[in-house]
This record gives sequence, C-alpha cells and structure tokens, in this order.
Amino acid sequence: MKEKKEYMDLALWAIERAKAAGADGAETYISDSESVQINVSERQVEQVQAVLDAGIGVRFLKDRKIAFGSSNDLSRDSVKSLIDDLSKKDVFHTPDEFNVLAGKESGLLDKDWSSDPDLISYDPQIGEAAIQDKIKSAIRLEVSGLDYSPKVKGAMYAVYQDGSSFVYFANSNGIAGWFPSAGVGGGIEFSAVEGNDQQSGSFSKTVTRFRDFNPDEIGRKAAENAVKMLGAKPIESCEVPMVVSPEIGTEMLSFIVYMLSADEIQKGKSLFAGKLGAKVGAASFTLIDDGRLKGGLGTRPVDGEGVPQQTTPLIVDGILKNFLYDCYTAKKGKVKSTGNRARGDYQSRGGIGTTNLYMKQGNVKPETIMAGISKGFYLTVALGLFAGIDPVSGDFSIPAAGFMIEKGKIAFPVRGISIGGNLFEFLNSVDKIGDDLTWFGSTACPTFSTKLIKIGGVSQKK
Amino acid sequence: MSDRKKRREISRREFLGKSAVGVTAITLSPVLMDLLLTSEGCKTGGKAAGGLIISEDVLKKAVGFLMAKGADFGDLYVEKAILGSIQSDDRKISTSSLIEKGVGVRAVKDGKTFYAYTASFEPDEIYQTARLVADAAVQGGPAGAGAGSIINLTRQSSNLTFPITPLPADRSVENKVELVKSLSDRAWSADARVVQATQFFREIIRWVNIATSSGKTIDQTLGLTEFYASTFMKDAQGNLQSSFDGRGAYAGRDFFTGDNSFANIVDTSVKRTKNLLEAVDSPRGVFPVVLAAGANGVIFHESCGHGMEADLVYKGSNFKDQLGKPTAAKGVTLIDDGTIPFLPGSFAFDDEGTPSQRTVLIEDGIQRNYLCDLVWAKKMGLQSTGSGRRQSFRFAPLPRMRNTYIDKGAVSPQDIVAATKRGIYVVDTSGGQVDVITGNFMMGVSEGYLIENGKITRPIKGATLSGMGVQALKSIDVIGNDLLIFPSPGRCGKFQTAPVGVGMPTTRVRSILVGGKGEAWEDKEGGAR
Repeated sequence: MKEKKEYMDLALWAIERAKAAGADGAETYISDSESVQINVSERQVEQVQAVLDAGIGVRFLKDRKIAFGSSNDLSRDSVKSLIDDLSKKDVFHTPDEFNVLAGKESGLLDKDWSSDPDLISYDPQIGEAAIQDKIKSAIRLEVSGLDYSPKVKGAMYAVYQDGSSFVYFANSNGIAGWFPSAGVGGGIEFSAVEGNDQQSGSFSKTVTRFRDFNPDEIGRKAAENAVKMLGAKPIESCEVPMVVSPEIGTEMLSFIVYMLSADEIQKGKSLFAGKLGAKVGAASFTLIDDGRLKGGLGTRPVDGEGVPQQTTPLIVDGILKNFLYDCYTAKKGKVKSTGNRARGDYQSRGGIGTTNLYMKQGNVKPETIMAGISKGFYLTVALGLFAGIDPVSGDFSIPAAGFMIEKGKIAFPVRGISIGGNLFEFLNSVDKIGDDLTWFGSTACPTFSTKLIKIGGVSQKK
Repeated sequence: MSDRKKRREISRREFLGKSAVGVTAITLSPVLMDLLLTSEGCKTGGKAAGGLIISEDVLKKAVGFLMAKGADFGDLYVEKAILGSIQSDDRKISTSSLIEKGVGVRAVKDGKTFYAYTASFEPDEIYQTARLVADAAVQGGPAGAGAGSIINLTRQSSNLTFPITPLPADRSVENKVELVKSLSDRAWSADARVVQATQFFREIIRWVNIATSSGKTIDQTLGLTEFYASTFMKDAQGNLQSSFDGRGAYAGRDFFTGDNSFANIVDTSVKRTKNLLEAVDSPRGVFPVVLAAGANGVIFHESCGHGMEADLVYKGSNFKDQLGKPTAAKGVTLIDDGTIPFLPGSFAFDDEGTPSQRTVLIEDGIQRNYLCDLVWAKKMGLQSTGSGRRQSFRFAPLPRMRNTYIDKGAVSPQDIVAATKRGIYVVDTSGGQVDVITGNFMMGVSEGYLIENGKITRPIKGATLSGMGVQALKSIDVIGNDLLIFPSPGRCGKFQTAPVGVGMPTTRVRSILVGGKGEAWEDKEGGAR
C-alpha cells in the first residue's frame, strides 16, 4: 500500500466543510485498508477473498453536542452531504460539557506520526507478499496439523487473514496526520478422533511482521490441543488449585480491563469505582496497557482521536493505579487522556479500549508451577466466557475443559465440568506467575496459578 | 467491548481483531434516506418500481466477464445500505449513521470460492473486479478478456413480502429522538435504585440486487428495526446488577406493540435487574430445567443448529452422517424457517438468489435435513435450502440459520411447571457458544427462577446451562403447546454476522448441567411425572 495524499487532503477539506456548515469543531477519520482472507479445507483452498476498503467517519461538534456519521463513498459530494446531514441532526443531541475533541491539553506528538519506527507496527511485506505465497501459507496451516497425527481428522475452520491499513486523521484543533499499520494471522480448529471419542482443539496467532508468521506452528499447536484432549472425561465436584493457560488468561484479562474503563467507572457500572490506591489483587499481580510496545499489534503513534498512545500501569503489585481514559472521560474526571480511544475503522465512532494489554510475567517455569500442586486443575478451554462472566458483579460460571494435575504432573484430560467464582476474588487468589508471557493478538498473559477454585462436576452417581 | 452482552455469540473465529461486525454504529439521516429511497424508487419495496441499483445491461455484461474463463458458477451482489441509530446513554441523546454501497463478486470453480468487492458502481470498476475474480478462479483458462457467452437474466418474483411500516424516512429524527427520550425517562424513573440506563434504537435498510450465472436477478429490500434497553441498579448494600432486553424485526416501528413494545422492553430490563438484586445464587448440578417459550430457542440454535449447517456438517460436526437417524427425543421437531413475517431471519430470497423456505431439520426426533447454500449443497449432494446468507456485499455467502425453533407439543405450560418437583425455570438467556466438533455448548441465564414443589418461586442469578447438544435434545421429556417464535435482537456470529430469530414452546429438559454458585443439588426425585 501507499500513502494517498488525496485522503489527507479530504480529511482536512472535510474539517473546513464542517466549519462552513456551522460546526464549532469537527474530526475526520479516514481508513484505507487492504486485506486477504484464505480459507482452506482438505489441503486445498476453499475460499479466497481479497478486499480493498476505504471510508470516512466524521464527528461534528456544535454547542457541546457531537453527532457521528460514516460512509464508504469518498466523493466530495457525498462527504458534503454527510456533513450537512450531521449539522441537521446535531441539534437533537443532548449538550454535554465534556464533549471535546483532542487538543494541546491532551498532549501532542511532536513529530510526524509515521516517522518513528518504534511507534509504527507496519510491515509492508504483509500487503506486498504474493497471493500465491499467502495461499501456500494458508495450506501449511492445515497440512501441518493434519500431518501431526493420524488421529487428526480435519479442520472445522482453517483461516489465513492479513490486513494493512492507513489511517488519515484531522481535527479542528490542528491535530492532523497519518500512519500505517498491518497484521497477519492464522486460526484453525481441528477435530481428533479415536474410537468413538471426538475432541476439538484450536489455536490462533496474529503477528505484525510477515516473517514472524509461522503457519506450521499454529497448525501443529491446534492439532496437539485436539489430540491431547482425547479420552477426556468429567470429574466430580471439588475445590482445588487451578493453573490457567496463557490463552485463557488473556481472555479473562479482557473482562477485568473492561471494568477498568473510565466510562464504566464514571457511569457507576464498575465495582472498581472508588478503589484507586486500594488493593484489588494479589501482590504478584500487575496489569499494564502499553500503547508504545515496540512491534505490538496495538501499537500506534496516536489513538482514535489523535492523542499519543502511552504506557498505563493499571494494577501494580495488586494495587489499583489507574483507569483507561479518552478525552471525554478525561475531561469529566479532570485528568489527562491515557490515549485509549479505540477505533476499529471509519465506521466506528470509537470507545475506550486497550492497546497492548498484558499481565507482567513472573520468574517461575510453568512446569515448576504444576510441580507444586498435588491435586489441581489446568484450565485450557473455556466456553462462552462473555455469557458466563457477569461483567458487573464479576460472578462467573464457565463450562471448561483442561487437564487434571496429580502429584505435580498432568494426569488426564477433563471435559464436561464448569468452574465458578468471582473475578474480584479471583484476582486476589492469583498465586504463582510463570515466565512464559505469550501474546495472542494484542493481549498477553503468562501461565499462572490460583488458590482454590470451585469445580462443578458431574452427578456423583454417574 | 460494550457489545459483549448484546451479542448472541462471540466467535473465536474472528481472531484478527478487525472483526467482521460491520454494523457497529449508525443513525438515520432523512436527507440521505430520501436520496436512497425516494429518488431511486425503492420506497415501494423495489419490486414494482423496477429500477435496479445498477442497470441490467451492466449486470449482464459483468456476469459475462465473470464466467468467461470457465468458472462453474458466479454471482454479483449489489448493495446500498443505510443504518441509523439513536441512543440514550447516561440520559444523553446521540445519533450515528452509516451509509454503505458496494458490489460483491464471486466465482466458484471445483468447489473453491473466489471473492472480491468494489465500493464503486462505475461499470468499468465492476467489470474489472469481475475479470480479476474470473482469472483468480480459473488460472490457465481461456486467454483474453472476452465477454464470454451471453447470459440472459430474468427477474425473479416471490409471493413473500415483508412490509416495513413506517419506513425509516417516514418519521423525522425529532420524532425518533422524542421516542428514545421518553423511554430513557421511563427507565430512570422506574426505581430509585437505578444508577445507569441505556436505550438503543436502530433502523437498517439494505437494498440488494443479485445477478447470477444461472440467469437470475433478484431485487429486494431487507429491513431491520432494533431496540434494546439495559439497566443498572445498585442497592443500599452496594450490590450492583444489570440486565438487558431487546427485539429485532424485519419490519418497521409499527411492529413494536404489546409484548414487543418499546415500553415493555424497558420495563423488562428494569424488572430483571430488580430480580437479580433479590436473587439467590443458582443451584448447581444435573437436574430438570423448564425453558419458557420464546427466546430460549437460542439454546437449540447454539447447541444443535450450528452443527446442522452444511459446511460444518461436511467438516465433521457431531451431526454428521445423521440423516434418517434419531438425534432428538421422539416428539421433538426442529424447524428453520426463513418465511415468517416480521422475524429478523426472514427474507424472500437468500443472498445467492434461492427462494427462502421452511426447512424441517428434525422431524419427530429423526434428522431430516441440513442447512445448505449452493456450494455446500453440491458438496453434500443435497439441495440448497435457501440458507446462503451474507452480512453485506463484503462477504461471500455461508450456510446460516434463519428463524430456528422447536415445534409445539400438546401439554399446557402450567402443567409442565406443576409436574416439576425441583428444578429451575429459565425465561431468557444472555447468549452462549458451541463447540460444534464435540457438541459441547453453554448458555448464560439472564432471567431464571427456582421451581420448588411444582411452583415458580425465587429469582436466581449466575446460572449457566451446558452440555452436549444431542444429549440435550434427547433429554427433552415434555413439550408445551405454546410455541412462540421470538424476534431476537441478537446477531449470530460465524466469520460474519446475521440477524436470526429463535423460538420454542415451554419445554422441559429432564437433566442438564446447571452451573452456579449456590448449593449442589442432586437429582433424586426431580421431575418424574
């Protein structure tokens, strides 16, 4: 992909257009992206999709009201009619003194957005690699897993995806610039069969450099995950220590951080409200959002409203240190934005989100963590977390699968059980933390253990 | 992130993060709506006016280019869409709008699909996209950029109509803002413990033309009106709870009356939150669960429906090779019907031009069919069931559910509860997920009660249902006579999203794994009738 000067010009033109239509301020966000998705089945291509996508989103500010609209028609006539329409609708909005666009007070990046390679996660190879090479990679995803074991029968899905995107941004406070980003990933789910037993296993990984994309590893790990589950059985209800895999750990972190959004806090929706400075987790637990992580999938020079991304320690050694802010919540909370206005593409008006989120790793080998447990559960699969965790009370009950740990070693696979508890209590019960920080997309977690967790098993008569 | 509770399903399949959820934000613009609807003659539903989005000559030529290199079949999917929403969050009104247009181009060769789209309606751009896809599909096919054979296109008609009254453009923004404001006031004044409330109203119009290499053109207007409400309450002890209710319909605002009225949706979200503040922790263990009629059908959507989608069947779901075999208890009939008026999963033609239909998947306990689109029907040796759906022009079709429900039985719902000594009564769920390989599924319960001595008693919180789809179907022991097909507000996610309806009559599942923080129950006397 290449920088398109006409899009930067359009972004700036739209600001002027909004002012002419009566706006006190305006913001334009243009995203221009290219992506390829390849689905594979039975060692062959099943589907190839190649997509170019560009569009504009406009926020129109007048009398402390902000209306948002977007379109994938980038003709000036269409953008003008979009803006005229926003000016007509804006009057119906509720004025809100905290409605604000980013400006000097939110911090400015004192250089061209695209100039600092440390703040750009963009490998041109991702867009430029030949489609034939991408197809070969996609096929490797599945083949590497199928060849792992004769017990691996087939993939329920095997998908290669890449995306490159250029963002052009401008607002009426003089913030303007563009930057590129790109990612490439693969995801696959296998079934493994032995006798009448059929088990599933999946794995996916997204990276920011084309040469780091390793389809063989992804396919093999998914196959391994399926084969290891063969022979899985339920266990009886019990209360035992639990070891959490990095994959499930990252999913749980995304629920915890949801409650650390300043918007949720200010609206009284999160039980973390009023707890700044208080102990909310075990002393070993540290959670950081790092928008400047070199090579991170979520690394950008600025967030979705032009504020420089930064490193925000949220929970440090168990103590709640900060929340995630955008300009609106920062003004409301009388603090500075943490640069966490997340915006997927031009269709999104944005909301508070993470950049690169991770739990700090410890210095223990995962095997050492297991070795210290005489009877416990190793959690590797959780189904329907979003429906099983109440994001308000933190209560959870989640159907799960994994392995029984006996005498410090993995004993046998387990399926058909549920784990239950409360996320707030869970944070306090974090025990040992491994040295194997593992990234899944833009979230990372090491292996860690917790003190006792309630496992709901099958009826004991069975 | 805030969509988490609203979505029926979040799939691990969307792993790159740039998710397929295109319909994030909206609002309606009467100006642009007029542009789209009035001036282009689609106000009558697109059929009578006769004007296609792109002229038939251009479509014909493009299909010619698409097929010129020897693809087995192909199609063009032309779409103009406008999405408008009005939201009250924290008592503050805001609007958003989205206008989209594009042409999706597909060629299929030897079961392989090649897909691209262009956002342009310029004939040359469309031809170029068609040529590219044709080349990709058939490498080493006939050389040159010939127009290939001429395929004559015939407009398809359907007896099914889905009136949208009023059309979004027929009401002013002001009128809609007033509606949402009044609903916001209703929520905030419902109870002194309300600390936060959101109401969200959205209207979507998608004008779609399809031209296929089999010589069909389709012209249809798809519409979806959605409303949902969520309420947060905090009691004197500092306990915080939230609940949600909503509806989505292939209809206009006039549909939202009675049980589906906006006011009732707000009231239900308030009632559910109150319940949770007073609720006991759900018991856990394996015991009888009585599922109320309507929205609970999503349990069977997750646990069984996905495993009956032809692509997943072909790849080895746990419903593979089951045609003609028992996959449910006798008396259980599972239907996927895309023809029911007003429901979100209905349409006259699917997104590859096949007429919609009522498909019997399980008949009296026996597996009879799977859900097929054209590609997977061919691979499976079956017929398309009109189940090829796409989120928008950006996506190739996939076999998807429409409105999926369990057909009614003969017992009155009161009798089902009365005959259950101890169990739980589930009114609605908060979504769920299925692993189609093992058939393992899970559902969260958003409104549920204890059944004690044949009576519905205290509200419960924190309950989840889980198990194996086939076992759940086989464990159904009583089916009510009160079938309700529910205009669900949720979107089903499978690489891309689709609006779906779900339904069922009041039904008892004799034994299913219930998760919760409450006491462990053993199923001693349970629901023996």
